Formats: sequence, structure tokens, C-alpha cells
Amino acid sequence: MEVANILENKNQGFIYGLMGNINLTTNYNNYSIITGYRFSGTVKDYLNSNKDISSLKMVMLKEDILNKHASELSIGDLKKISLAKALIENKEYLIFDYFEKEMNAHEKEYFKRLWKRLTNDYHKTIVIFTNDITSFWDIAQELIIVDKYKVINTIPKDKYYDFMDDISKPEIIKFIDLLKAKNIAIDYYQDPKDLLKAIYRLKENTL
Amino acid sequence: MQELFNLNNKTLYDIDTTVLITSSFNMTEDAIYFINNKAVVITKDRTNDFYEIPNELYELFEEEDLQNKKELTLIDEIKKKILSSLNSNQKVFVFMNVLTYLDKPFKEKLIRYLKLTNKKMINYTTEIEETLFLDYITVIYDNKVIMEGLKEQVLQEEKILKKLGFHLPFIVELSNGLKYYGLVNKVYFKNEDLVNVLWK
Repeated sequence: MEVANILENKNQGFIYGLMGNINLTTNYNNYSIITGYRFSGTVKDYLNSNKDISSLKMVMLKEDILNKHASELSIGDLKKISLAKALIENKEYLIFDYFEKEMNAHEKEYFKRLWKRLTNDYHKTIVIFTNDITSFWDIAQELIIVDKYKVINTIPKDKYYDFMDDISKPEIIKFIDLLKAKNIAIDYYQDPKDLLKAIYRLKENTL
Repeated sequence: MQELFNLNNKTLYDIDTTVLITSSFNMTEDAIYFINNKAVVITKDRTNDFYEIPNELYELFEEEDLQNKKELTLIDEIKKKILSSLNSNQKVFVFMNVLTYLDKPFKEKLIRYLKLTNKKMINYTTEIEETLFLDYITVIYDNKVIMEGLKEQVLQEEKILKKLGFHLPFIVELSNGLKYYGLVNKVYFKNEDLVNVLWK
């Protein structure tokens, strides 16, 4: 069993979240697993493409990285290079293996925009394998939960809140749950600014 | 504060410290330095190591399922590495961007365990929420220390952190907003504390 089995009968050109007890593997040519693999040689050798630097720019890297050896690079940069290679090879399925773990907030936002572009403009299928729904819950159309490559649940985007007890809760949801436990009538929000406004309105009404 | 380590112009003191890094920071050199200076270093690199872990530790961390599990995932391996390292007599434990892979209960038990056993903790991370765990923060950008100080001080520097690509932790951002509206008078670092101030 491998990651392609999970995506059988799934629409292409979508962004999926994937969570569960697996190690990602694939033997399919149209799949790329984006991971911090430490290849041998330089970036230029690995990418096998010293002319096309547009893919490097797309993954937030500069041209000067081409002459560096993998051993000189951070895991975050290795993950970006893995994505650049998949883009050069023009794979249909891009599977991100805990990709967000080495990225800061600015980079996470950038890659979310890139994933949307890749699905909308190039009909790529993106799978984000993670244990943290907060990194992608606003862009993934569906969350697939697996155990040893067997799909045990598929949660559409509009039902994420109903399944929050089964998956890791974002900090904002934990905070709202604490308010609800105090019988405060408040909705769930994804953006702290919206939550702030809601708290302000509630406090203003109680004054 | 007493100096514990001095590496590449970074001074790490005798206080539990978060080293906040950007994705381009290569931790290898620091990891080698720590190993040579007798600290326990946990990375996410997968190995064929055999992990000897006492039953009590599996029980304490409620990870008994890991004991006989055959096909280990990356997260299982990180947990086993950490549990086996806790047997060590060393005083300083360095986590190289691995806590971000773990669930919150495991992280909380780990921090509690290290505090109880008087071990020092250094946590390298790109995840701003993890800065809330420990007392001191050192911020690295482009291999240079940009700022450092107690958590309460560093997390006030919203502009600098944003320039480096970091948001504030959720609870700090929310309490800053509530402070601006006059609903609280200080910044909070725990959800429970802020909720209890808003609605007693």
C-alpha cells in the first residue's frame, strides 16, 4: 500500500489534508513526495537543470544556492529544493511530508498561495501530510484520516469543526472552547482579529 | 546568568531557552558542538538505532503502545529517541526542531519531566507558539543573533519578529489587541489566564 491508494477516486486539481499513522512512500512516476531528503552532490546536480532558475524563485530560494552541497543546507532549504525538483519534473501529484515544520509564518502563507496557484492554474493535486490542521485548514478542501494507508475518515472542509476532538486543535479553537465552557455564547473563528472583535462586542454588551 | 555554551557568537545561559530560527538555518554545526560538549541532542534524522527505554518511562509518558510497535512512523521514532535519551546522566537536552512534530500532551509531559529532574532544555524551532514553553528566547536570522532576552520581553518586539517572518503567538497577539481596546492591562501567555481575566 502507498500514498496513491489513498487518492484513488479522489478528484484531481484539489488540495487535500492528510493525517495518520503512516510513512509516505510511492512508486508512481506522476507522484512526488516533498521531503527534506539529503541528496549527494550539489543542488545544480540534483536538479539537473542549471538554466531554469524560475522553479528556485517559486520556492523562495536564490540562484546562489545552486553551487551548494546538500550537507551545507538546512532541512527547510532541502524541502524547498525537493519542491523545486518536483516542479521542474512537472509531476501531477505533489505530496508534502510535514513540509510546514521547518517554515516560519511568512513562508507558510507564501506556500499556501503557491499551492492554490498550482491547483487552480496547473491542475496539480496537492496533499499536505501533517499532524497540525492549523497550517492548512483554510485551503484544504478535504481532510483524509488514515491508519496504515487505510482511509478511516474523510472530512469535508465545512465539517472540520465537528471533528475537532479527533484532530489537533488550533490554539484559537482551544481558546474559544474555554470561553464556551464558561457559557459565553461565541462562534468559532479562524482569524484572531475576528475573535478580538467578537470579544469586544460581547464585553461592550455586558457593560 | 551563568554561561553554559558559547558557539558561533551565540551565548546560551543556564536557563531553559528557545532558539527561534528561520528555515534557512542549518543546525548541523550547532548539533556537533553540543554533542562535543556533552549535551544530549535530539534530531529528526531517521536511524537504525535500538532504543532502550525503561517500562516506567513508557508508562509515565502514556506511550505503552510504542513498546512493541513494529512499523514506526517518523513521530514514533522521535518519541522513542527522546524517551531513550531521558536515561542519560547529562544535564542539558537540546531539541533540534523536533518538538514541533509532537502532540501537545507529550511535549507538556517532557517539559515537566525535564524540570522535575533538574535538566536544562534548549529548543531550536521555527514555530513561534513553542516560544511560550520556555523562559528565555534567542532569535537567529542569517546565522546572527538578532535579539535575545526573557520571553516576556522578546515577545513584545512584534515589529522585529514580523520583519523576520514570524507572527506573534496566538495568545500574545490576542492579548495585545484586547490591551489596545482597554479590556486587559497586560499581555498573557496562557489561554486559561486570559479567559479568567475576561470572564471571572
